[in-house]
Amino acid sequence: MNYMILLPVVLPVIVGFALLFLHEGVFRDRRGLLKVTGVSFAVSAALALYVISGAAGDRLILFRLVDDIPVYFAVDDLGRLFAGVVVAVFLLAGFFSFVYMSHEKNEKRYYSFYLITFGVLMGLCFAGNLVTLYLFYEFMTLASMPLVIHNGSKEAVMAALKYLFYSFCGAYMALFGIYFLYRYAIVFENPGDALNGTHYYEIAHMMGFVPGGSLDMAAVVESGNATLCLVAVFLMLVGFGVKAGCFPLQAWLPTAHPVAPAPASAFLSGIIVKGGILAIIRTVYYCVGVDFLRGTWVQTVWCILAVITLLMGSSLAFKEKILKKRLAYSTVSNLSYILLGLSMMNAAAFTGSLLHVVFHALIKSGLFLFAGALIFGTGRVKVKEFAGLGKKMPVLFWSYTICSLGLIGIPPTSGVISKWYLAEGCLESGIAGLSWIGPVALLASALLTAGYLLPLAVNGFLKAPLDEEALDKYREPAPCMLVPVVVLAAATLLLGVFPTPLMEFVGGIAAALK
Amino acid sequence: MEFIRNFPFFSILLSLGSGVLTSIMNRKVARFWNTFVLLAVTVMSAVLFVYMLGVGEPYTFMMGHFPAPWGNEIRAGVLEAGMALFFCIVMLLSMKGGEEHIDREIEDTKANLYYIMINLLLSSLLALIYTNDLFTAYVFVEINTISACGLIMIRQSGRTIEAATRYMIMSSLGSGLLLMGLCVLYDITGHLLMSNIKQSIAYVYTQGIYNIPLVASIGMICVGLAIKSALYPFHTWLPDAYGYSTVSSAAILSSLVSKGYIFLLIKIFFRVVGFDIIVDSKIVNILFVFGLLGMIMGSVNAIMENDIRRMVAFSSVAQIGYIYMGLGLGTTFGIVASIFHVLSHASTKSLLFVAAAGLTDASGGSKRFEDLTGSGYRNPMAGIAFTMGACSMVGIPLFSGFISKLLFAEAAVQNSLSKMLPTLICLAISTVLNAIYFMKTVIRLYTPKSRNVKKTEAGEAAIVSFREHPLYNFTLILMIALNVLLGCCSQPIADWIISGINMFG
Repeated sequence: MNYMILLPVVLPVIVGFALLFLHEGVFRDRRGLLKVTGVSFAVSAALALYVISGAAGDRLILFRLVDDIPVYFAVDDLGRLFAGVVVAVFLLAGFFSFVYMSHEKNEKRYYSFYLITFGVLMGLCFAGNLVTLYLFYEFMTLASMPLVIHNGSKEAVMAALKYLFYSFCGAYMALFGIYFLYRYAIVFENPGDALNGTHYYEIAHMMGFVPGGSLDMAAVVESGNATLCLVAVFLMLVGFGVKAGCFPLQAWLPTAHPVAPAPASAFLSGIIVKGGILAIIRTVYYCVGVDFLRGTWVQTVWCILAVITLLMGSSLAFKEKILKKRLAYSTVSNLSYILLGLSMMNAAAFTGSLLHVVFHALIKSGLFLFAGALIFGTGRVKVKEFAGLGKKMPVLFWSYTICSLGLIGIPPTSGVISKWYLAEGCLESGIAGLSWIGPVALLASALLTAGYLLPLAVNGFLKAPLDEEALDKYREPAPCMLVPVVVLAAATLLLGVFPTPLMEFVGGIAAALK
Repeated sequence: MEFIRNFPFFSILLSLGSGVLTSIMNRKVARFWNTFVLLAVTVMSAVLFVYMLGVGEPYTFMMGHFPAPWGNEIRAGVLEAGMALFFCIVMLLSMKGGEEHIDREIEDTKANLYYIMINLLLSSLLALIYTNDLFTAYVFVEINTISACGLIMIRQSGRTIEAATRYMIMSSLGSGLLLMGLCVLYDITGHLLMSNIKQSIAYVYTQGIYNIPLVASIGMICVGLAIKSALYPFHTWLPDAYGYSTVSSAAILSSLVSKGYIFLLIKIFFRVVGFDIIVDSKIVNILFVFGLLGMIMGSVNAIMENDIRRMVAFSSVAQIGYIYMGLGLGTTFGIVASIFHVLSHASTKSLLFVAAAGLTDASGGSKRFEDLTGSGYRNPMAGIAFTMGACSMVGIPLFSGFISKLLFAEAAVQNSLSKMLPTLICLAISTVLNAIYFMKTVIRLYTPKSRNVKKTEAGEAAIVSFREHPLYNFTLILMIALNVLLGCCSQPIADWIISGINMFG
């Protein structure tokens, strides 16, 4: 089954490129195009699910870039978790776009890059060493850029350039770190690590992902470069943090996410940003190892950055008038919950972070799809313009309300669980000051979240609409758009009520790190 | 198998002789003959390369069987053969990719002159690669300069003539310094043959009597060759020369001519002076600093440029900076990375120049960015090729540029801290700068999506169909393939570079 890992990565990319280069005329009309894309979505997702459902531990060395650095895939639980989330959101947002994209031009190009991005993300999830991860990280930036730029307006082009510029800056900060860490990569002599005999020497020295770290930190200390190594790791954090919208380099996110078509925004905000999170987890927990970082200035600064981003994102979202921008700011703040949890470097916070990765992906894509459905149906963009619409679109607005509650963290929705673990992890961490500033910031941010999400729901149901006569035109969106939103809302609720299987799975990942 | 050992001699002689022969040919025959020569030399180099890989030992070839002080020697190892092969391939591709432009831009009466220059250039490059004699190297450096001048100004406009004059002046300065350096070396050692000089220098250096003239001569040689290969502060001739000449010229000049000098410099490092003495003399540190400067400043200049050809030309300045930075690291790994970057840059830059020519064709011949908007749709193949080339330059994995950056970084981390940090930091900064201007261009090629044809200052923009230019498109595909090949199968290539450098020793 080794080469099966490759299928969900390669097939969507090939199909995507085929779509891109095929002439429009091949599909006769829009229906033809949708059939082809629909089938390719389903097949890609099925292949991905097949790999995810297989046991962890499959590995595949594809080829070697240079002697010690192969392009290497390995399936482990963390990769399976991320891949699962990606598949779910990919499918829902994909089918949502079948209706939504009908009023946009260049649909074919959109679908092709959407598919390519999916394939690349699968590669990112199943990457087995840092260089492979970096490779797909770069591809992810490139493949998702056309989604941002889609409508081709001047605003979109500038946003895409900003996106590219920030991402490349970040990627090369990270690359700097990779270059530096490369010489400390060690051979693992742990036979229990399932590195079977023949591959044993081949996986040496390549920064593969091993729970607890795969670098020879003793050698770092010995060579007297410990400080420099911390700097390198910090640069990697900041660099990969760009994708995750972390403080010093977060400005691209609120610009780039809203200009994309709504389903693409959902995908960007729900999934692509998690690529940055995954890269950080892989770096810190699977390459460098937390023992080296715990208690250093890197951890402290990282926490502080996360807290700053968290509060700043929420406050900016609170002030923002345009719905999609507001959601983008909210993404910034929510990703910082995850980063804050990761920076605590203990099991509870790590569990909370992973849970929040899942929950936020589902909720945020739900919210963006909701925004897309509203914009598609009404052509309005500002939050206050949606007043009174809840009576005409009850299902849509109820779904929104549930998702919002999830993001705020009100039981019985899912968000409460992840936040609980995050707060517990912060308190456990014992970092002076930050152990209580963290939970306080979480609380404050939750309040702000309620402040920026709930008014829309409340006004939607209770307030009088701006213009009564226009109201008659509006009704619930088409099923193809409504169902994904409802499914995501239902998932938010269900995961809040029955979180145990997911928590056990995530707990397993966290336990393996010990 | 002994027969194969004649191949370097044959290739030099064939290209040199056909330079003379081409003068009595008309355009068509000259072109055909040039293609034939390039193919023949490619095949010979390939055979020699395979043979050398099998033998694993370098050999020297005495011309006319006269022994050293009287006769002239050629020396071939696996690195030399591989370089010759690679240079021929790139030259062939650049010629074929720009063939239509040559036909269009060069007057009928001058066409065969162009092919004379190309043949001479090929012979001088081959001679620089193979020769074992410093004075022969100098002679062919001059031939190289003169034919390069011809290539620049064959397309006659004010800009090209000015560029050629600049190039001539700077190059003459470079050759002068090189010659002076060689003279001093000859004074000290009494030899012109590389292997003999090396023995003498090793002896003289341990004696310590002539160290100042020795260092001075090394310095003059390095600076001379640096000027000729457009290392940063000496790059002023470059943007015009690459920006306004016909596309084949630009591609060949940027990817081969400057690389020939760099290869000669590496050869002098290893075969003439001895690498330990070079490192000991601290000259590499100067190259290192200028290399770093070039990496940054070249990109900064490229960002400010509003002309696609000149932008690509300035990016060459940055890439030359990379190569000198690698030389300046003063380790064998640095040299390996530099040589790999020579290959990677040669394949990428020729691809970019040829692709840019297709894009400007689809924009009515205008090279300004405003007019290039959407040209990626008007000439799809050129658009794809430019994007690929840009990805390689930025250092996206799977393309050759990434591997050379990886090798540079690997070489850097094995160095002392004082060289490692500047290298890594400049690599990162320069990559980001690269990303800025190349990605900006790529986005411009594809937005907004329209095949609309508009009138530009230079002329009517037109849709260029895929089938109209089969040769051009085929060449682009081959160039992309070459680039991806370098990016994906780098290990065997790095291996032969290392074994080739060992054979230098």
